[in-house]
Amino acid sequence: MKIVVCIKQVPETNDVTIDPVTHNLDRRGLAGVMNPFDKNAVEQALQLKDTDSDAEVVLLSMGPDDYAESLREGMAMGADAGVLLSDRAFAGADTLATGYVIAQAIKQIGDVDLVLFGRQAVDADTGQVGPIVAEFLHQPQITYAASLRLSGANEVTAERLLEDTKQTLVATLPAVVSVRSELNTPRYPTPRNIQLSFAKPLTIWHHDDLDLDDSRLGQAGSPTIVTKVYAPEPVKRELTPLTGTPTEAASQLIKALKTRQLI
Amino acid sequence: MSKPELWVIAERRLDHVEPTTQQLITKAKSLASDQFKVVTILLEATADHLENELTAYGPDEIRIVRDDRFPTATDAEHADALKQLVDAYQPNSILFGATITGRSIAPRLQAKLQTGLTADCLDLRFDDETLVATKPSYGDNIMCEIICPNHRPQMASVRPNTFVATPATGDATITTATVTFHPVDRLKVTTARPVVNTATTVGDASRVVALGRGAASAATIDTATKLAEKLGGRIGVSRPLTDQDRFTHDDQIGQSGNTIHPELILNFGISGAVQYLVGMQDSQTIVAVNSDSHAPIFDVADYGYVGDAQAFMSALLAQFN
Repeated sequence: MKIVVCIKQVPETNDVTIDPVTHNLDRRGLAGVMNPFDKNAVEQALQLKDTDSDAEVVLLSMGPDDYAESLREGMAMGADAGVLLSDRAFAGADTLATGYVIAQAIKQIGDVDLVLFGRQAVDADTGQVGPIVAEFLHQPQITYAASLRLSGANEVTAERLLEDTKQTLVATLPAVVSVRSELNTPRYPTPRNIQLSFAKPLTIWHHDDLDLDDSRLGQAGSPTIVTKVYAPEPVKRELTPLTGTPTEAASQLIKALKTRQLI
Repeated sequence: MSKPELWVIAERRLDHVEPTTQQLITKAKSLASDQFKVVTILLEATADHLENELTAYGPDEIRIVRDDRFPTATDAEHADALKQLVDAYQPNSILFGATITGRSIAPRLQAKLQTGLTADCLDLRFDDETLVATKPSYGDNIMCEIICPNHRPQMASVRPNTFVATPATGDATITTATVTFHPVDRLKVTTARPVVNTATTVGDASRVVALGRGAASAATIDTATKLAEKLGGRIGVSRPLTDQDRFTHDDQIGQSGNTIHPELILNFGISGAVQYLVGMQDSQTIVAVNSDSHAPIFDVADYGYVGDAQAFMSALLAQFN
């Protein structure tokens, strides 16, 4: 069984500031780490490998060469190999253009049974790339999985928690699954695994290593444009006083919460 | 020439409409003015009449597709049906609730349409016919305005409870449309059962009953526990209450505890020291009850009551019952 885990490298902290002159994000001095939610996906893959020792776990990421850092981190956790998609032509991609290149890379890796994603990246917070990749690969998707296990030779069973419903889903492989952070606690790299990881293959694929339609890459292949980036104003609130006896005040509150559809 | 269509995709929540749908209809109407036609797209079973929960909000049209497989359809099956409708009607823009369902179907549809989608938006506006979507990033520390200038439809998902649903006048035209349901046999929902709120930490809870020094008695905590249950939420505390055996650091809200942004927080007996406020002031709706009318908590609250926390809490619980 071949499992691909898609990971993203993100700034170490979410405490970013805006440069007052250029209005760009000031990312100076921010070290890159593996997106914390993606570690849950790596852990899930490693747990599946624990139950199926023939399983192979390949990490896949797209970004500049220094993204190799978080691939190494995942291999030190126990993944078998890493693939980094790095090319100037991929830069400036939004979710659609990113999903396209990742889907093409998964086809290139070949014979992939299961693709795992974290629920979303902590920087852009979209959670879109998993479903986009599933669509481009024409595969079933299970998003926000709260548990995941192999339930047959060619089948996974997952629980998915919606706002008000718990679903059990059974997917025939190949499939794409994104996982919730609550489903596991990512393991730490052991010294032995760190040592072993240096011998594991980390491959960098550039533009020409993949079968790509250039019009779907990078900025040119991205339908969306960020036109403005700013720090949010603190929310201004207007206080509505609740008055009278506690009973009267409580009934005013219930009415207000009903209007806001909170109860 | 007919007006371009602005779509709101209705979402089901058990046997009802998910409230974000109604919120989006109200917002869409205010964005549309005379420029757009607000159309709610509703995929439901043949015996369903979820449109009855939508007419009061006054969309121009409710376009219904009926198939008994929709209530249990998977993301890809939903996206496939919506793709057929988009091809048939060519809307200008499509809005989804940024619920788990919305955030799963919308990107799948986006990929089919090869267009732009902005997720989890906190505001929307139109510049002429271009949708300008405001999206938080970096854990809500940064706001981005995002447009999709050259592709149609434009797509956005909007965080629940960002907008307030308001009943409106105007008769919605109810129409039906048909699509071909393409079942995906490789994915099956084998069980689905309703769950009550399953938040295990105060940070996960969408409703929080917060207690401070002025609401620390055993009786008050007991009432608060019942209230939290009714709301499907959890109790959180300010720093002083972590000294009690029943609360730990995990329950604490504030700088040295958890930063939370639930959709509703009720603060009882909390004055609102700065280190507390930074941990909760981004909550969507804030209610404060405190005996001191000058307590800083009232500066960040939407609703405030000056009086005894226990008395108010009991009255509130009684009216819930």
